[in-house]
Amino acid sequence: MDGTSYNAWRLTSLSTLPGWVLVLACAVLCAAIWLSFRGIRAEPSARRRRILIGLRIAAGALLLVLLLEPGVELRAESRVRARIAVLLDTSKSMRFPAAPGGPSRAEAMLGWLKSRLPDLSALASRFQIDVYGFDKELQPQDPEKLAASVGQADQLAQGPSTDLLGALGTAAAAGTGGRPLAGLVVASDGADNAELIEGMTPQASAELQKLHAPVFALPVGAQAMRDLAIDKVVVDDFAFVRNQVTVDVTVSARGFPSTDVPLVVKREGQIVAQKTVRVGGNTQRAEAKLSFVPDRTGKFAFQVAAPVYEGEALAQNNSRSFVLKVIRDRVRVVLVVGRPSWDVRFLRQLLKRDPNVDLISFFILRTPGDDTRSSQDELSLIPFPTQEIFQEQLKTFDLVIFQDFGNRPWYHLSQYLDGIASYVRDGGALAVVGGEQAFSASDFGGTAIDAVLPVSLASSAPPVEETPAQVRLTDAGKRHPVTELVPGVAANEHAWARLPQLPGLNTVASVKDSAQTLLTSQDGRPVLVVGEVGRGRTLALTTDASWYWSFVAAGQEMGPRAYETFWHGAIRWLVRDPALTPMRVASERTTFEPGGDPPALDVQVRGSDYGAASGAQLRAQLSSAEDATQRLAGQAVAGPDGTARITLPQLPPGAYKAVVTAKRPEGGDVGEAEEAFVVQPSGAELLQPAPRPDVLRAVAEVTRGKVLEQDDRLDTLPFRDPERVEVGQRKSRPLWDRWGVLAALCCIVGVEWTLRRRWGYA
Amino acid sequence: MAGWSRRTLLKAALAAGLAWPLRARAFGDASRLVFAQLRHGGRWDPRPDGLPRLAWEVAKRTSIETSPMVRGLSAADPDLFRHPFTVLSSDVALPPMADAEVSALRRYISYGGFLLVDDASAQSGGPFEMSARDLLARILPAGKLTRVAREHVLYKSFYLLDGPTGRSVTRPDLEAIDVGGRLAVLYSPNDLVGAFARDSLGTWELEVVPGGEGQREKAIRLGVNLAMYTLCLDYKEDQVHIPFIMKRRRI
Repeated sequence: MDGTSYNAWRLTSLSTLPGWVLVLACAVLCAAIWLSFRGIRAEPSARRRRILIGLRIAAGALLLVLLLEPGVELRAESRVRARIAVLLDTSKSMRFPAAPGGPSRAEAMLGWLKSRLPDLSALASRFQIDVYGFDKELQPQDPEKLAASVGQADQLAQGPSTDLLGALGTAAAAGTGGRPLAGLVVASDGADNAELIEGMTPQASAELQKLHAPVFALPVGAQAMRDLAIDKVVVDDFAFVRNQVTVDVTVSARGFPSTDVPLVVKREGQIVAQKTVRVGGNTQRAEAKLSFVPDRTGKFAFQVAAPVYEGEALAQNNSRSFVLKVIRDRVRVVLVVGRPSWDVRFLRQLLKRDPNVDLISFFILRTPGDDTRSSQDELSLIPFPTQEIFQEQLKTFDLVIFQDFGNRPWYHLSQYLDGIASYVRDGGALAVVGGEQAFSASDFGGTAIDAVLPVSLASSAPPVEETPAQVRLTDAGKRHPVTELVPGVAANEHAWARLPQLPGLNTVASVKDSAQTLLTSQDGRPVLVVGEVGRGRTLALTTDASWYWSFVAAGQEMGPRAYETFWHGAIRWLVRDPALTPMRVASERTTFEPGGDPPALDVQVRGSDYGAASGAQLRAQLSSAEDATQRLAGQAVAGPDGTARITLPQLPPGAYKAVVTAKRPEGGDVGEAEEAFVVQPSGAELLQPAPRPDVLRAVAEVTRGKVLEQDDRLDTLPFRDPERVEVGQRKSRPLWDRWGVLAALCCIVGVEWTLRRRWGYA
Repeated sequence: MAGWSRRTLLKAALAAGLAWPLRARAFGDASRLVFAQLRHGGRWDPRPDGLPRLAWEVAKRTSIETSPMVRGLSAADPDLFRHPFTVLSSDVALPPMADAEVSALRRYISYGGFLLVDDASAQSGGPFEMSARDLLARILPAGKLTRVAREHVLYKSFYLLDGPTGRSVTRPDLEAIDVGGRLAVLYSPNDLVGAFARDSLGTWELEVVPGGEGQREKAIRLGVNLAMYTLCLDYKEDQVHIPFIMKRRRI
């Protein structure tokens, strides 16, 4: 005896012959017995037949025993304990409070674990207990240590996302020694952001059924069931100015009766869109489309917000922020012309050909003094739509061009002049092009239009100085993008100098101090002056013969390129084409993580003369989508190349607009630029942290488990307890080598042979 | 002053002094509509009083500022590019033009110039028409004279017109060559300028047939539309005008 205590046995074959040989031998034996039966069926005595057949069957059986080498296998068997996997949610959403004003979900979960340790101990006598933490992945955990660290529970909740289905599958497959799975216990807020983010699906249900084990789920934070959340905000990264923008908002409400929830979209504290959506009751999720029309270009911070109701689990998820870049699809230009001329014709042709320009024109084709010698119905003329152009549609234009246009009494423009000036100051653009009715002949002198132009109009001098003008670049003009016909200062100067002379110039009273003269005549008369007023830009061109730079130049073998380049550059500058902006601010990223690296702004500052503004004092002021009040948030000094980085302080979640102003060391303004960015979590884990007990309930139902209450005992749960034994030791003992078997076989064969001989068989 | 025709100068001076619709003038001709007449080796100015009178009518009827002066310029003269509206006319066959002149006219038309080819003979298939077609084929080999549709903006650029006319009505349509979406060359078979010709004493120089003075008024209106079209191009095709024009067309 080897001392092993065997508690089970079984018969077995110890033959080393291949299985097919044994099967063949059995078949041969059976065939032999059957043939022998046929051989003696003519025997009239039934007793003899039975004796002979009996002896032959007995001999065949004994022969088979010899071939099979039967043996006894002695076994030392033990029963295998099944596994129970306990999964504890360690994702970041567990840092949120389990109930308004209460401990975090992680803390509540570990408190529950601590209270259930005796249950786990009790279960450990029947099952193997495996405890895991799970978020994006599964990690083994020590329940004793976890239970002892309730106070530092939030340190446990570091997971970047929650994959409940993946965790269950991995935990089910993680057992060692082939232990069957008796069940799983999950403690989680259910805020899944992987396969179960949209709730239970047929695919997820099929995956869960493959577990073949019940899931018992403890919803953590489920007591804070009342929560309204902006789950999703979908909007394009950019939009076109004056084109409708639609924001798709998904709102979810848990624990609410059917409620009308007002949603708003805010920009810099102003509501730009609002809509009421009914959600709650049986409608846990609702979608709404909020639309608005951006009225100017730039980068803007927006916030979609719903009210925070009393008793909500989370207030943070009632708003979402986004940044929208508003660009132009086409530059919308209105060209108002006092009289058709060649200058008008060439400019219109240029603008109409430009696919990036949407041109609206109005030409004065007849004045009160003209005699058409016809009735009105024989003419194609229309009334001057002053109200439509200068009031109703004014803000839809990026640029207004007055070409040889004056404030004639019969136009009745006086009531619109203040509005036009406001339009410019608010970011519009105005270009005034010369002609016999323009500038000091325009009757705009002393009006609001005069106030926004870069030149003063009122003048006692004749409105036109007929001396031909050969234009020259000023120092400012050598750097300015409007007057850059070709790259390189010398080449550019040459390009301007060789253009045809202009036949005369409008006179102006003076160039304003804030303006820049880019082109003058050879005798110093201003030809091209630009200025900035408020957020708008203005341009004055004191000639009505800029077409000379196109057609007359073409006659001098130069071609129209200078004319086209000039006007394209002028329009781009006037409408603040980002590529021509002297001062730029760019945030390091569009979205910053709360508590992560502080937001930083990279500033490149050049003066309005486009030279690097080294040493400029930079101040960054912040406003948010909720509150338009600007607050100082950072300062810096521009380096020799005009660049600087302004690091802002840590900011709470929200959408922000930064306005950076630059001043020269001696105090003069250099410029201003804006940037928008968002501070908010980038992943769904913190964007959609609301408890999802419905997900846990669905998991429990599919796996035939149940949803646990806080006080439910674990050791009384109906875990599966499948039978499985483990064989520790085994030992085989042969039976065939006993002499009796062989002797019996010999005896039977001998008796059978003797009887056959006696009864007359061969 | 080789570019000025003697008769034009005299008429213009008289008109300027007596009856020209005067307005403030300071920029010279740069901003004004000044017609140019193309000098060639043949009878290049068959209707010397036509274009000044058209300029007068345009100034009187519209806000366009015109000059009574008509510049007679050869195709090779660089000054031609200061006058984007040029008239090529004769009542006999055009003499062959030098390659350099053809090349200059090609450049003129391509870069924005407008060429009115007016058959002063008003003879369909006559010598002028044949020679003018040959010349245009040399200037714009890829271009082709095609009928100007009645819906074209030319017929509604100022007056609402139902078709072309002139001193005579040889053919009921104008033909044109389109360059970059604009009518760059317009061929009038009806001696359009002849209908405008009026002497300094106010007498129409040529009889208009078969429609008489009504036809002359239509011709003047076509001339005004032509001037307006060259300065405003397809302005009247802008959306803002369409409802008004549609309504008046129905009246």
